[in-house]
Amino acid sequence: MRTLLIACGNTLRGDDGVAAEVLRLIVPAADRELCAVQQLTPEIAEKVAGYERVIFLDADAAATQLTIKPVPASVSHSQLSHASSPAEIVALATALFAFRGEAFMCGIPARDFSAGWKLTPQAQRLAREAVEELEHRFKQ
Amino acid sequence: MSRRIMIQPVTRIEGHAKISIQLNDDGDVESARFHVTEFRGFEKICEGRPFEEMPGLMSRVCGICPVSHVLASSKAGDMLLGVTIPPAAEKQRRLVNHAQLLQSHALSFFHLSAPDLLLGMDAPAASRSILGLLERDEDFVRRGIRLRQFGQRVIELTGGKRVHPGWSGPGGVHQRFTTEHRDEILSWIPEAMGSVNLALDRLKPLLDNFRDEIAHMGNFPSLFLATVNPEGGLEYYDGTIRIVDSAGNIVADGLDPTRYYTWAGEASEDWSFIKFPFYRPLGYPRGHYRGGPLARLNVARFAGTEQADRELIEFKQRSSGAVCESFHYHLARLIEMLHAVERIEQFMSDPELFEETIRARASLSRREGVGSCEAPRGTLFHRYWVDANGLMTKADLLIATGQNNQAMNMTVDQTARHFIQRIAPGTQPDEGILNRLEASIRCYDPCLSCSTHALGQMPLMVEWFSPDGTALGQIARPA
Repeated sequence: MRTLLIACGNTLRGDDGVAAEVLRLIVPAADRELCAVQQLTPEIAEKVAGYERVIFLDADAAATQLTIKPVPASVSHSQLSHASSPAEIVALATALFAFRGEAFMCGIPARDFSAGWKLTPQAQRLAREAVEELEHRFKQ
Repeated sequence: MSRRIMIQPVTRIEGHAKISIQLNDDGDVESARFHVTEFRGFEKICEGRPFEEMPGLMSRVCGICPVSHVLASSKAGDMLLGVTIPPAAEKQRRLVNHAQLLQSHALSFFHLSAPDLLLGMDAPAASRSILGLLERDEDFVRRGIRLRQFGQRVIELTGGKRVHPGWSGPGGVHQRFTTEHRDEILSWIPEAMGSVNLALDRLKPLLDNFRDEIAHMGNFPSLFLATVNPEGGLEYYDGTIRIVDSAGNIVADGLDPTRYYTWAGEASEDWSFIKFPFYRPLGYPRGHYRGGPLARLNVARFAGTEQADRELIEFKQRSSGAVCESFHYHLARLIEMLHAVERIEQFMSDPELFEETIRARASLSRREGVGSCEAPRGTLFHRYWVDANGLMTKADLLIATGQNNQAMNMTVDQTARHFIQRIAPGTQPDEGILNRLEASIRCYDPCLSCSTHALGQMPLMVEWFSPDGTALGQIARPA
């Protein structure tokens, strides 16, 4: 299944870069495209439409454990400033660019967003766990 | 008993911010403030690193306007090297700066502000978004997305990457511009031009519906500051600083941007992490100024391209002096987008853009360098100090959004005073009023601290506080 993995976050803001770390650890494959962005913006919707599955990866300040949830193509009111939400991207991709695939959100618990390149040991561990979970759950 | 209303954070702008409204004993607005509660801290992590790395690092300050930081940083590096960069490199930087302004303004207008403008300030919050707009006018939304995509594509083709292009550095750029790049960019021009003109055609007739908002959402006298070229025209990459007052009189002209610290001061307030820039000769707060699209059109005598000049003439007719209504940032943004598309097209037929020499090579010749450019939200300054080995010892960034800090506070105060009329205990402000408060800030499209955006950090909350800080009530909007 042609899959697009989109990692969101700033690698200069500590654990905000944890999604990019997941992307770095994932084994490349022919049917898999990896994409890192600082934040989601509307034009990504057109790119998403070219895949059968999209997985958004992001640091989650509110979570206590790794989560992988379906993203509905919902017409919800986004609260996220210049950054679009995954649901908004999926909705735009569906409405404007005929996206008919499935979408998931992988939230990785993160706490320390102070300036700097380093991930906390906890974030490093969770990044590895996220890779294993993604590989297990999306074998094909 | 006086009460305080908090809206935090403001949605659809960057970073962590909140609006607080202090009510008096009668429930009327006593004052309103716009707080920024996120500290950026990028200056500190520069220390000890080679100055050549700064453009790449600084591009990560922002996910929306990274090019501005790359350019200001590259120019500071040029100054440290003591070089004049080759014409092809300068043209590339100018081209990408227009593209960046286009994609950033497209996001601001089509995605963030168009729901307010086309659906109305009082439309239900659940549908007053880009997705609500999608149900009304799919083509308009699609055009907005593709316009932004065009800007991103120009950046990607020229700089190699869309979001954090590292192609520019001290001394020039690292990649030649090719005829293949030109051909693809030219293929986008008719659609891009059509989309900007469509937006202008939509917005201008609607302005009559927003007379109250235009008059009371940031309509006050102030200075306006922006870069101009030697002829006094619109300029984004190089030039000198001009300041005009609300009557349109030139207060200062020919200010050297590399010596911004001699004429621009920064005041602090204990309730905001963002400083309050001001024009030193007038002091703080009298010397506060506005920057960005509205300021650029107010200070420039002409745009220098056919369609933008036509729009600029019409724009200037809105006032006998400077256009002082912050609501017109939206219109100014569209005129700048028109200018950007025209400029991008002009660059495609400029032979210097394609020249082979793209970088001046030199070694460190100064210990201090300053770079500036016009970023989408205002004038951006980077000032670097290095040791004898070229390692950064200090950095100072005067961020574009910060130029409008005082204006945003005055705007939210004026908006609150006009639109909030007596809130009885146990009641809450009307949704349309809350939206007007947010919309008043969105005029400036602030980019406060877009460096972190992790999930779960941005619920919208409105809270009431008693004078002793006790929360009296709360509104939370669904995410």
